[in-house]
Amino acid sequence: MSILAPIICDNGTGFSKVGYAGNSDPSFVFPTAIATRGSAAQSTRTGPAVPSKPGHLASKRGVEDLDFFIGDEALANAKTPGYGINYPIRHGQIENWDYMERYWEQTIFKYLRAEPEDHYFLLTEPPLNPPENREQTAEIFFESFNIKGLYIAVQAVLALAASWSSNRVTDRTLTGTVIDSGDGVTHVIPCAEGYVIGSAIKHIPIAGRDITQFVLNLLRERGEMAGVPPEEHLKVASKVKENYSYVCQDIVKEFRKYDAEPYKYFERYEDEYSVTKKTYGVDVGYERFLAPEIFFNPEIYSSDFLTPLPEIVDGVIQQSPIDVRRGLYKNIVLSGGSTMFQHFGNRLKRDLKQIVDRRLENNTSGSQVKSSGVEVDVISHKRQRYAVWFGGSLMASLPEFYTSCHTKAQYDEVGPSICRRYQIFGSAT
Amino acid sequence: MILLESHNYIIQNTLADKLQKPTSLDVQFVDFDSVRFHLSTPERKTCLLLSMSIRCWDELVKYGVNDVLQRVYGDRVSPQPEPEYNVSLVLDLEQFPSEGEEREALIKSISLLKRNALAAPFELAFSAQKELAASGTGQGELLAVHYRDEEAIYVQASADRVTVIFSTMFREETDRIFGKLFLQEFVDARRLPTIQSAPQVLYTTRDPPLELSHIPNLIQTDDVGYVTFILFPRHFVNPIVAESTISHIQNFRDYLHYHIKCSKAYMHSRMRHRVSEFQKVLNRAKTEVAVVDKKTASGRTLVR
Amino acid sequence: MSNVLRPYLAAVRSTLTAALTLQDFSSQIVERHNKPEVEVGASKEVLLNPLIISRNENERVLIEASVNSIRLSIKIKQADEIERILCHKFTRFMMQRAESFIVLRRKPVKGYDISFLITNNHTDTMLKHKIVDFIIQFMEEVDKEISEMKLSLNARARVVAESYLLAFAA
Repeated sequence: MSILAPIICDNGTGFSKVGYAGNSDPSFVFPTAIATRGSAAQSTRTGPAVPSKPGHLASKRGVEDLDFFIGDEALANAKTPGYGINYPIRHGQIENWDYMERYWEQTIFKYLRAEPEDHYFLLTEPPLNPPENREQTAEIFFESFNIKGLYIAVQAVLALAASWSSNRVTDRTLTGTVIDSGDGVTHVIPCAEGYVIGSAIKHIPIAGRDITQFVLNLLRERGEMAGVPPEEHLKVASKVKENYSYVCQDIVKEFRKYDAEPYKYFERYEDEYSVTKKTYGVDVGYERFLAPEIFFNPEIYSSDFLTPLPEIVDGVIQQSPIDVRRGLYKNIVLSGGSTMFQHFGNRLKRDLKQIVDRRLENNTSGSQVKSSGVEVDVISHKRQRYAVWFGGSLMASLPEFYTSCHTKAQYDEVGPSICRRYQIFGSAT
Repeated sequence: MILLESHNYIIQNTLADKLQKPTSLDVQFVDFDSVRFHLSTPERKTCLLLSMSIRCWDELVKYGVNDVLQRVYGDRVSPQPEPEYNVSLVLDLEQFPSEGEEREALIKSISLLKRNALAAPFELAFSAQKELAASGTGQGELLAVHYRDEEAIYVQASADRVTVIFSTMFREETDRIFGKLFLQEFVDARRLPTIQSAPQVLYTTRDPPLELSHIPNLIQTDDVGYVTFILFPRHFVNPIVAESTISHIQNFRDYLHYHIKCSKAYMHSRMRHRVSEFQKVLNRAKTEVAVVDKKTASGRTLVR
Repeated sequence: MSNVLRPYLAAVRSTLTAALTLQDFSSQIVERHNKPEVEVGASKEVLLNPLIISRNENERVLIEASVNSIRLSIKIKQADEIERILCHKFTRFMMQRAESFIVLRRKPVKGYDISFLITNNHTDTMLKHKIVDFIIQFMEEVDKEISEMKLSLNARARVVAESYLLAFAA
């Protein structure tokens, strides 16, 4: 029998990306949300509603745990009386295993329509995921679903692998710094030869959601939102962010440019209100370049987090072991939707290069030895938005994937602890 | 979700998407029972090629799958299937009906490609039964469909019924035991007055039923079981009923396995709950170490 | 608790309470080692006679006592194939989480389904009668849980079969 394509499942805090290996895009991207019977708050506290009251008449029927929706359908059904919505993943880590198990169950059987017994699976985990979580995941996948084999990869490493698709990357290395910015949080993660340098990871509390909020604030301040129905405010802000924003080289110059020729740079965004079918529009101006600017000048948005992204990246690399620092500077990889702004990579590269060069100058003054300089490069590529998933798809298409997987037979022999060990593969060095 | 659906979500979603906004595309995906799909745009963005590879194609051809597909999809069936695949549909998006019910129906019918291909042996058996019923006696040919490596569907028409036999194989001990329990319930469920009209179900392990006794080389171990559905003419009186019967019976294996897995997931959540309850009981045994705030003269907390 | 089960559990409870008289005891064989003697089994003089409390041939408890530790193994009732598999799953699931169950052993003693190892450290940091309570409650509820799981599995199978066949009738 020809081996069927492995299934790649990247379950993030906000969205899950699932699909088959070998493709360039996930087959499904939907919110990691599950709508179940019973209110959301109560069931997370007391565990699953069914087992907690075994004598209850309803549980005698025995299938109410199948009555749930996931993804977009969950959001659509959230308002239906009797259903409550839950997000089983918090901060990248699985919080509620009951919901997560059912979430996977429906992902596989309803959406992917795959018989899990015939497939290998590649799952992703956040950096610093405790090994117990990995064991629990293995327990679910091998015992409930009887899958053929499992590989759990670290998201940052997959993002590095995804950058191999860029034509600027010549050697397939798993050393580099990953800047992963999603909806909730931004991580800067250094990786050396496929292993995450856990002690140097930094989190930045600025991500997609904050940018949207910032755009919304700006639009409100200029009075653009007056004609927009309140429910649509967030949607408009996120559309503006996604469609018109870019990173500029210099704010002051950019402001001047806009003031000199407003007609050239201002854009018009128009949409229709879903309830009344009335159209409305906003003029999009300075938001275009100010939105992503909060990464580089956080003081314009936040009052308690003030370190610009390039400085953080530099700090992370300086905290890593000295012998990998060159590799980390040379290969800075972007991943996630909030790094999709135009020129984001160029700006980051320029700012970081300035920091590095300044330090070199200070260090070498007075000494005889001249530094050869440090190469700084930021890699943007086409698959940035779903970089982690794409990296998974790429890795799972390699022939070594099957030998690196933990198989069902091995699991039965050793038990869940088998997943504590994990094997790096695919890198050319 | 109790019942599984017959259509493929990925095909449905992708088609609906591409009709809105055609882009070039090249995706491969699967469906239950080792069916592989390939959806691509080999020539231009508005012309999709959907290819399917199915394990038992050669058998299906014998049972007239080509006629069935021709009937459903007309000239959308490509005369020359893509290499490595068994059948290809050419979908010209420009020729799709404009938005509305008609278009939805067409998309739906395309996403049912696998179901329609597997329908061939059933349709053949249903028509064979009608002929046999006219002559009064006799048995039709036994149509075997080896849809998975270790499992097969057998369909046979007789004068008053069509017999559908699934051979089942469980790879794991737990599944085998759960499966046995589930299948026993299938046999017993018919006693309920509301489902008297459902097909009769028989279940045997190890020894194949009489209909299959002449087939050589059947694996005979405890892992193997045979589920027999006896379909009476009322299950395929008219094309609409027949169609839903076919869709439904095809899904039997996946349905069974889906529910075995769901029950295991349910058991897991029960166990998680119970274990955390035990945990609480044990924690009650722990003696509380009283934390006394020790203060220094200046009022700071003393930490050792 | 059903009445039939009560004498059995009462016997286990009093035996266990009596057996839980543990003290700190360093190894007599290796210097600066302090190990549960019941597990090491190297010095015979600190081991007590093991004792089996048996309700019937399928349900019994083995208590092995020593000067600084006792080991308690339980064989859980398994009437048929399904109960056997459910019991196996449940005990495995629990032993997988032995880390948080301090007194639980990661592997059962041969011939039993689940084992607990209680050492003098445990009796020092935890209330003795509460540990006994825990064991007894575990024994009580594990039977109940397994039969409940079996019931719900049966109920589930029925619903599943009915809804499948109902679709034909409709």
